[in-house]
Amino acid sequence: MGKFILQRLLAALVTIWIATIAVTILIHLVPGDPVRIMYGSFQTTPEELEAIRVRLGLDQPIWTQYLMYLERLVQGDLGRSIVGDQPVLDVLLTRFPATLALTVSSLFIAIVVGMSLGFLAAYKRGTWVDVGAMVLAIVGVSMPHFWLGLLLLFLFALQLQWLPVAGGDWRSLILPALTLGLANAAVLARLTRSAMIDIFDQDFIRTARAKGLPRSIVLYRHALRSGLVPVVSMLGLQFAYLMGGAIVIENVFAWNGVGRLAIEAVLSRDYPLIQGFILFFATVVALASVVIDIAYAFLDPRIRYS
Amino acid sequence: MDNTRKRRRRLPALPGIALTAAMAVGATAASAQELVWARYGDIDSLDPHRATSTLSMQVWDQIYDTLLAFDMEGTPGPNMAKSWEASDDGLEYTFTLNEGIMCHDGTAFDANDVKFTIDRAFGDTPSLTKTSWGPITDVSVIDPLTFKVTLASKFGAFLPFLADSFSSMVCDTNTADTFGSTTAIGTGPFILDEWVKGSEIVLSKNPDYVNFGEPFDNKGAPHIDKLLIRTVPEAQTRLAALRTGEVHIAEPPFDDIEAIKSAGELDIMVAENTGQDVFWEFTVSRPPFDDIRARQAVAYATDPQMAIDIIYGGLTNREWCPVARGVFGNDQEFCKQYGYEYNPEKAMELLAEMGYGPDNPMETTMFVWTGGNRHKLAEFFQSQLAQVGIDASIEIMDIGTMNARVKEQNESPDLDTPGTFDMMTWSWYDPDILYQLWHSPGAYTGFQNAELDAMLEETRTTIDPDARLEKVQAVIKYLMENAVHIGLYSPGWEWVFAVRPEVEGFKVGPFLHPNFLDVTVTSGG
Repeated sequence: MGKFILQRLLAALVTIWIATIAVTILIHLVPGDPVRIMYGSFQTTPEELEAIRVRLGLDQPIWTQYLMYLERLVQGDLGRSIVGDQPVLDVLLTRFPATLALTVSSLFIAIVVGMSLGFLAAYKRGTWVDVGAMVLAIVGVSMPHFWLGLLLLFLFALQLQWLPVAGGDWRSLILPALTLGLANAAVLARLTRSAMIDIFDQDFIRTARAKGLPRSIVLYRHALRSGLVPVVSMLGLQFAYLMGGAIVIENVFAWNGVGRLAIEAVLSRDYPLIQGFILFFATVVALASVVIDIAYAFLDPRIRYS
Repeated sequence: MDNTRKRRRRLPALPGIALTAAMAVGATAASAQELVWARYGDIDSLDPHRATSTLSMQVWDQIYDTLLAFDMEGTPGPNMAKSWEASDDGLEYTFTLNEGIMCHDGTAFDANDVKFTIDRAFGDTPSLTKTSWGPITDVSVIDPLTFKVTLASKFGAFLPFLADSFSSMVCDTNTADTFGSTTAIGTGPFILDEWVKGSEIVLSKNPDYVNFGEPFDNKGAPHIDKLLIRTVPEAQTRLAALRTGEVHIAEPPFDDIEAIKSAGELDIMVAENTGQDVFWEFTVSRPPFDDIRARQAVAYATDPQMAIDIIYGGLTNREWCPVARGVFGNDQEFCKQYGYEYNPEKAMELLAEMGYGPDNPMETTMFVWTGGNRHKLAEFFQSQLAQVGIDASIEIMDIGTMNARVKEQNESPDLDTPGTFDMMTWSWYDPDILYQLWHSPGAYTGFQNAELDAMLEETRTTIDPDARLEKVQAVIKYLMENAVHIGLYSPGWEWVFAVRPEVEGFKVGPFLHPNFLDVTVTSGG
């Protein structure tokens, strides 16, 4: 098991390392002079622009820039934001709890709704329940997040006035969490359904039924537990999707997390903040995948021993 | 303003629903003394020396005050400074402050605070708008209410600058490292309670505030107790929040303005004299726009009036001048005589003279910046240009990128691709904008000419208003006749406000500065 965890951590480190290369190259991929683009709205003289270029190390060859970046990185220094002149890591950490609250609650909604729907569809395979659930799932998968968000906003905040449109307290979390959760529940519902259908056809389920075990024991203890294994393996990916979706959804609902920060950074061409966000995002997703992989290995011993 | 009102939705009768609805209304609709203003983005800094965005300036206006103040027409007059005298050579200005101005921390505001502000703007970490202050060499305190500013050379935009938010007066007690990020001590109508970055700025009314010169009825402290400035990036979300009463004032989505007007549930308010100018400018360092005929052809081939009628439905105006409405020197009749009325035949003649024709269209690229339905405008102009034989592709980018790209285009005379042109936008409170844009090397290293440079220098060194007007108009004539800077429309961005009917007295001062001094919120909306 220790070896397995080590392997997963190494894989995560490789992902993060690739992200560091990507963010270093990023600033050079933008058409035009990055310093001018970043400071274009300010009254800066060519000398001041040159000084900024030197300060950011952009006058150095790209590999030197990369090494300088890595050196700062290991000291926990992600640079300073252009807008507001704050340490990038501090800015990200201030806004991250809001995103974490949003993604975790969305994941919870996605799991509860998605798995229940998928399980029900598999159990009632071929009936109208199955068809209805899968139609819902297809609609959920196909609908863009922001569109679903605006629909929910229109219904619950504007028409029914049950929830606030935007704000800062816990009630403002419900709509964005529901939007992200429902959209991702659709994916989980389809996955759960196919996993459960496979399980229902297995011999051990037939045997359990033939032994005369109560239906609830067969369903929940035997079928569900085995059926969930492949679904749990997808949760890491789901978490990454949710983090990505948060960028759009936080903007729709004015939820003050890192996703919105990323959009603000892009709009104000704050490259140090954009770079910091990408690396931070990659790290969070990589670490979340490690945690979920480990959980998966606990559920399915075949994984950790293979 | 449309004053039609609509009553709040009746609450559902079901007890459970009624309870949640009541909770929602209770928590979201602000009390009578509180006003919520939602905007698409947050400020960059509370420090007026460390940001340049309109979003930031609009907040500084609430926290700080300025030595002078613009009237609704955009002319500067007394405010914190009750009077001033200029020396004969125009290099020394002696100001007298009003008595009794208090900083938010309870200290008295005096000439030392003015010196602190100006010295800071020229200090070790100078203001991002340092050059706008003019060639100031010294500020000396004569007595607590009198100070003298010395300039190295005459500067025509000096007094207007002192009415602009960039010159916001900062109290000299702002010495903490937190100044600009979590603290800000000014003398303005509101006191900073809290800035939750990315989310909300909470301001309380300053009971000691005296309005000496702002063009609003209320001469004392604001009527409202709290002003909450909230960031709600998505336009549809802002509109929903306006409709539920969670927000009182916000910029509505453009495409919904007609529906909002016809529903009568919100008032629509359009800011005037914003100083915002949207205009054509060209890469003159290489063909085709190194030839004046190509620039004129674009001007003749495009019809801004028709475009704004279709796309903005009467919410903005055709702007003939290179300095927009509200700015000294703006005169539609004067500018129109040098303007380019829509005339596609004339455009085709000019293009034919240059050797272009139906089988040989003039190729170019139009740069436009994102937002405000400008992409629709660009498509409209693209089709008008196609009709005369100009094949213009469109590139849409954010404003910072566009600033950098335009400069790069001008600085690349040897590129193989045809020169570009762009729908540029600038806002300024003084015709000095023309100096910043077109005096060599200029903001974009674009059109440069020694004759124009000399004329622009005169607009800076001429102080007498009548004489200065003459100099400014000479520059306007030159820029238009040479098809360098062709005005399209004004205002151009973030100038429309949707206001809840229970809000009275909301006004937008010149140069897009919303003001809350006269605002009252009637309860129950």
